[in-house]
Amino acid sequence: MHPILADLRKLLVYVLACLLAGSVAAGLLWFGGTADGSPALAFALPLCLVYGFIVLSAYPVCRALPYVRRRPVAALALFGGTTLVSASAWLALATAWNVAGQAFGLDAGFIAMNANLRLILFLAGAGAYVLSLLAHDVLIAFENVRAAVAGEAESRLMARDAELRMLRSQIDPHFLFNCLNSISALTSLDPAAARDMTIDLAQFFRRTLALSTRETIPLSEEMALCEHYLAIEKRRFGSRLNVELTIAPGALHCLLPPLTLQPLLENALKHGIRELDEGGTVTVVALARDEWLHLAVSNPLASHPATASDSGLGLKTCRARLTTLYGERARIVWQRKDGQFKIELAIPQPKEIEA
Amino acid sequence: MSRRLSALIADDEALARHLIRDYLSRHIDIELVAECDNGLQAAKAIAERTPDLVFLDIRMPKLDGLEVLELTGRRSGVIFTTAYDAHALQAFDLHAVDYLLKPFSQTRFDEALHKARSLLGHAASALDTLLQSAPPLKRVLIRDRDQVQILAVESIDYIEAQDDYIAICAGGKVYLKTQSLADIEARLDPQLFVRVHRSYLINLARLQAIERHGRDGHAACLQGGKRIPISRAGYERIRGVI
Repeated sequence: MHPILADLRKLLVYVLACLLAGSVAAGLLWFGGTADGSPALAFALPLCLVYGFIVLSAYPVCRALPYVRRRPVAALALFGGTTLVSASAWLALATAWNVAGQAFGLDAGFIAMNANLRLILFLAGAGAYVLSLLAHDVLIAFENVRAAVAGEAESRLMARDAELRMLRSQIDPHFLFNCLNSISALTSLDPAAARDMTIDLAQFFRRTLALSTRETIPLSEEMALCEHYLAIEKRRFGSRLNVELTIAPGALHCLLPPLTLQPLLENALKHGIRELDEGGTVTVVALARDEWLHLAVSNPLASHPATASDSGLGLKTCRARLTTLYGERARIVWQRKDGQFKIELAIPQPKEIEA
Repeated sequence: MSRRLSALIADDEALARHLIRDYLSRHIDIELVAECDNGLQAAKAIAERTPDLVFLDIRMPKLDGLEVLELTGRRSGVIFTTAYDAHALQAFDLHAVDYLLKPFSQTRFDEALHKARSLLGHAASALDTLLQSAPPLKRVLIRDRDQVQILAVESIDYIEAQDDYIAICAGGKVYLKTQSLADIEARLDPQLFVRVHRSYLINLARLQAIERHGRDGHAACLQGGKRIPISRAGYERIRGVI
């Protein structure tokens, strides 16, 4: 489909442009003395409008022979041929229409046609068609550039998303080997606990792998993953780790990207609880409000300067993932205040969920 | 073996400590004298009790295993334990320092213990070179009697050499440390700290301007108004970095 025909506004503008060209042609005929004002208009306006659409046929012609594959002879033959055909059609139309003018009571038709005028009309038709060919070439070039840019942006976005997802689903070797070490210690100390921990670890990784391929999941599934994770960490941290979960029932079916909450918990343990002799409590609050899922995770912080270098990485990854999925709509903020670190997320929900 | 050996375990995870204790129970001539769940505690316990053997986790809260060695100067009888630290392990392999990879077996543990025993009392020079080749410091440790101060390197304004110690100026406070200026310079990131003078090392992030001083001398103006002389060689160095 021709881009002008596909868009009503463009079509309207184009029709007006054709009529304007028709008026100019009528003016020329009038000043040239070949016709009076109103017959000249009656001759030129319908013809220009019809020819306006004929020259649009240059679009498929230009596309049939893309610029990069043009060889001089073939191009000359195709473009020359189509120009000749269109200009001949235009002349035939003009002659026929002029004869039809007799039906309106004008003896010689709308205008006084002669050989000279026929030549001028033919050349004008051919010129208009060549102009159309050139204009369409430019148009197609623009289209190609735009498509290339859009395609590149899209592929970049997709690559980035894939990369971030992979980053999340990757098994942290430090975590894995430490867990195995804990299990190894538990086998003599508390075999039942060793078995439980093995199962939690297996479930955690199984779910991580299953969820990471999906774009969004309900909070209930993310919570199931987090519960296995927390069960493992509670064994490793012992009494130093307390977790308070406040999940509003309405929030459980809200959607979020997989592995959004779990890394935040990991962060809270790694940079908060772990650095504190007495340990502390991690609080998680989730609630649904007005098409938004609100998540907040807070943890106590040690007062001494911890190695702050990699603590920001997890948060930046989280922000980047939300931006790829929701653009500027999702919010993520974090702050340190009164010995507490708090991170809050607001994730937009699709409207169907609310209904 | 006539004498009983003393051992210390430093690991922030109770279960990991339990496992080592378990493995150690087979060696009746080794007595466990301390268990520490963070690096700071480990550093103190090593200084106070000077155990023959130290089982040292690399990733610990407050101070990591390498920082514990740096602070205590301990070089012998150290057995590293770690789950996975790509950088540290590469350095260990490079300097032929033995370590235990979690989870490890009793056999592997006994082997490491045997090796450490045979070298008892010998400072492992490998550890020295390991520490020197470690990545630039992120924090500086200052021991002040019983207290240990931990300074993030970004918080340091400048360091001045005095007699046989250095004065570290950070946020208006001065901390003294027995170390040579050349020593600490080698351990700091050369992109962040520049030796502008025989007795001064400045944090480039604090540098506000370089002033002309006298006919062809220069001085560095730091944030907060402190002026530090720049020697001719120091001027070349600072121009090379900026």
